[in-house]
Amino acid sequence: MLLEARNIGKSFTGVRALDGVDFDVRPGEVHVLLGENGAGKSTLVKVLAGVHAPDTGTVERRGSLAVIHQELTLVPQLSVAENLFLGRPPRRFGIVDKARMREDAKALLDRVGLDVDPTTPVQDLGIAGQQMVEIARALSLNAQLLVLDEPTAVLTDTETDRLLDIMSELRAQGVGLVFITHHLDEIRRVADRITVLRDGRSVGTLPGTATVEHMIELMVGRTIDEQYPRRRTEPGEVLFKVEGLTRRGAFHDVSFHVRAGEVVGVAGLVGAGRTEVVRAAFGVDPYDSGTVEVAGRQVPRHDVQAAVRAGLGLVPEDRKGQGLVLTSTVADNLGLVTMKASTRAGLVDRRGQRERAAGMAKSLRVKASGLGQQVRELSGGNQQKVVIGKWLLADPRVLVLDEPTRGVDVGAKVEIYELVNRMTAAGRAVVLVSSDLPEVIGMSDRVVVMAHGRVAGELPGGTTQDKVMALAVQEFPA
Amino acid sequence: MKGMTKMKFRGVAALSAVALAALTACGSGSPAGGGGEITVGLAISTLDNPYFVALKEGAEKAAAELGVKLTVVDAQNDATNQINQVQTFTTQGVKAIIINPVDSKQAAPAAKAAENANIPLVAVDRSVDGGKVVSEVASDNVQGGTLAAIELGRAASGEVVHLQGIPGASAARDRGQGFEQGLNSGGIKVVASQPADFNRAKGLDVMTNLLQANPGIKGVFADNDEMALGAIKALGDRAGKDVAVVGFDGTPDGLKAVEDGTMAATIAQQPDVLGRKAVEQAVKAARGEAVQEVVDVEVKVVTKKNVAEFKK
Amino acid sequence: MTTVASRKNVKVLSDNGALAGLLVLVVALSLLAPSFLTTQNLLNVGVQAAVVAVLAFGSTFVIVSGGIDLSVGSVAALSAMVGAWSSAEAGLPGPVALLLGLGTGVVAGLVNGALVSYGKLPAFIATLAMLSVARGLTLVVSQGSPTTTPDVVSFLGSNLTPYLPVPLLVMLVFFGITGFVLSRTYSGRAMYAIGGNEEAARLSGIDVRRQKLVIYALSGLFAAVAGMLLAGRLSSAGPQAAVGYELDAIAAVVIGGASLSGGVGRATGTLVGALVLAVLRNGLNQLQVSPFWQQVVIGAVIALAVLLDTLRRRTR
Repeated sequence: MLLEARNIGKSFTGVRALDGVDFDVRPGEVHVLLGENGAGKSTLVKVLAGVHAPDTGTVERRGSLAVIHQELTLVPQLSVAENLFLGRPPRRFGIVDKARMREDAKALLDRVGLDVDPTTPVQDLGIAGQQMVEIARALSLNAQLLVLDEPTAVLTDTETDRLLDIMSELRAQGVGLVFITHHLDEIRRVADRITVLRDGRSVGTLPGTATVEHMIELMVGRTIDEQYPRRRTEPGEVLFKVEGLTRRGAFHDVSFHVRAGEVVGVAGLVGAGRTEVVRAAFGVDPYDSGTVEVAGRQVPRHDVQAAVRAGLGLVPEDRKGQGLVLTSTVADNLGLVTMKASTRAGLVDRRGQRERAAGMAKSLRVKASGLGQQVRELSGGNQQKVVIGKWLLADPRVLVLDEPTRGVDVGAKVEIYELVNRMTAAGRAVVLVSSDLPEVIGMSDRVVVMAHGRVAGELPGGTTQDKVMALAVQEFPA
Repeated sequence: MKGMTKMKFRGVAALSAVALAALTACGSGSPAGGGGEITVGLAISTLDNPYFVALKEGAEKAAAELGVKLTVVDAQNDATNQINQVQTFTTQGVKAIIINPVDSKQAAPAAKAAENANIPLVAVDRSVDGGKVVSEVASDNVQGGTLAAIELGRAASGEVVHLQGIPGASAARDRGQGFEQGLNSGGIKVVASQPADFNRAKGLDVMTNLLQANPGIKGVFADNDEMALGAIKALGDRAGKDVAVVGFDGTPDGLKAVEDGTMAATIAQQPDVLGRKAVEQAVKAARGEAVQEVVDVEVKVVTKKNVAEFKK
Repeated sequence: MTTVASRKNVKVLSDNGALAGLLVLVVALSLLAPSFLTTQNLLNVGVQAAVVAVLAFGSTFVIVSGGIDLSVGSVAALSAMVGAWSSAEAGLPGPVALLLGLGTGVVAGLVNGALVSYGKLPAFIATLAMLSVARGLTLVVSQGSPTTTPDVVSFLGSNLTPYLPVPLLVMLVFFGITGFVLSRTYSGRAMYAIGGNEEAARLSGIDVRRQKLVIYALSGLFAAVAGMLLAGRLSSAGPQAAVGYELDAIAAVVIGGASLSGGVGRATGTLVGALVLAVLRNGLNQLQVSPFWQQVVIGAVIALAVLLDTLRRRTR
């Protein structure tokens, strides 16, 4: 055993985060840690890494451990090599030996299969490359145990493939890996064992061959009938219309429309311009030409407040960076959009805002100690519910969801899908931008596929992944 | 990209030129040069204080009478700034420089710059430690402090407090030293010495606090009039009746307080005379005439009896 | 009943490191200086805290919204000088002069706000420029000499009754206004959102640029009020008044538990912060600490107060 944790218990200010958890890792295995957000995975990782001391139980470790977090800890302006040897560069006569640093870096990068020049600044690498650098750095520290905390949440499919290959490679080299992910299909490809946590307890350890249904059942504590429970409604009038939207260098002549009661998915590869289009339509960024209409009325260009008044809403892709005020409470975040409307003579109707926030938090089943809890302390799925909730309170006619389930666990995902159903049942229109192909196909009534900043085509809901991909990789004449 | 930066740079340059031109137009002194006319540079420590404003005005009057041009720069109490300003003078063709050092101990580099450019330097109000000056025009702060102690001893007897200037500043050191020396003569005893940074608001706060701990005091000496005026505010009705306050500098507000009877006395340094004498010496030096190495400007005790002479 | 109350008190103390620090200071000074714990002296402390406190209330708005205002000391001096000059030199009636002075503060704040929100200048630079400009204009207006204030301004520095100093009342009124603005008004709530995450605020339909104008204008107005208080206490507006007060104001806000990165801060914290500084200066005078050591002590206490607060948050 590389690592053996027995009967781990841990509480924070009276809240039990872990309760009698057993967990171990052998050399040369991938042990998946599975559970909904808030199930205790992060706490367990912190106990294993020695960040938190457990209240009860013991942790025995043979060999050093490194944790690769979702938020990377590299210095973006420094080169790959400098990042790999940050704080301990190879020296000669007290001076950094750059030639040797490059060679050593190259050897490490080969080990993780990353083919880049070690002098490249890390910020030029893209998120997947940066992750590889993090893993290489951990290996350079002779880590025999690697904890990967949701590394694939920010990766594209091909990047994920490569990461899983590298994990298999490292396993063959005798490294023990702890892998945390919400993508159940990934688990089946690499896992040797799967330990499922629920409400701070270990509810079972499964073999890597376990079925997706079995995993979900253990994780959620109930069976989920449908992963994508889309309930269609009869489409009504056109509520949202984007016509010929163009911004030089970003997107070109993008047109699509969404009817009342409809969900239109926007699919495409990373960099196809999906986020850029919806941000421009919402007034966050400017565009050069084209029009955006809500219910037949044109929305002014580059004016978020006008877009909000017209009945548009946007749940942005970057939850922490653009969706939430992390220093504020659940109630304040939920009230952010409706604050203006509830203001009379400069004074906010705080009681009304609080009541409405309480109602929304309850209906979305936000898990928090109370409305006064800071959102930064919530799990990813609950944070996302708060971002969606602030828009639901404003009751927009058109809600644009950009990667709404990224980093969100299975149970919360289904709840978010139900919110989409609720919106369309009430005659609202939803635009669903997502890199998760099964999701965008399963939840959309129509799918608009973008490639290289243009609309490559449109497919009906329930289409196949192959058809979407065929459009997504389409080339356009320059 | 390159073109952009260039254009931006041009924009900035143009803007600066306009700003400079506008400022020159509304400033009193015009740049040096000009056929045969003598220009004298005056590097003043700060214009934040009425005392130095009076010094500047005295200098300007003398310059006008003598028919020379006077360029005034303000170092805003920053010694480094002042060195730069004196260096700038040396490249502007001034025939003599008058320096009113921000700090005596930090003015040597400025003196060196003038010496290297062969421009005579006159120090006014404060000396230049370790630097060469052709003439030093000053009133004696130490002597002034002693006079203040004697005057306070005359007006009061018993416990007194001393409000000090900025800790470490030369005027605070000298006046404080003189004050201590003059204490033996009268029947007063210092029970508290605290800094109020030459500032009126701080003089008020510090005096209020000292009164709490020492309610029975009979006199106050402040290193300048600003602090003395703050102390008078703190004393309220007691000022001039049961507590005697002595200030230093003889600023307009200070003189008015002496006239009103709230301030027992102030030590007038005659800043306008300092400015006038400095210009006279500088012009002599510029014309190659003999100068006086040390010009002592009389320090005067101002009381209600003679205050009228000082008010203009 | 008493246990509930005392438990509540303990919670208030542990929630607010600065308040605990203030109490420690007060207890220590009461033991060391016999004249400290008297009604008159405590009133003095309140009066002496008033100017910095009102400046700091204005700075609280700016700091909560993630900005900084370095110009408040200079703007205070300029506003007071404009008020005094309008009355003494231009012969306008006192109340009109007072309003002109307050208006000057608002205009200076609006300029700061416009530079930050529309000019996209970093707040540090924009307000640093205003620090210099406002101080310079003060000298221009005053020609370097102190100017007598009109009676209505001097009233702000006087006592209503021996135990009711006006500066103390003004401080308490502005404390109330600050708390009200922060917790109840749209602008106040927007400050927290903008300071916590400006992008999220913008994407939620908050007019960030307009709110920044309001925020800096408020800071300018509060600075003007502080300037009037200072001038009122001396019955005179000085060209060198309030030099360096912006740093005291920022220190008070931060001692009070606000974060310079924005999104966090409260009116009570700022009040306590201003009182900490005033108590300290008062105590140092009464204990007759050497002038050279006073600055060392003040700096150390500022660092200690913030450090205690940080530690308290970390252990939570």
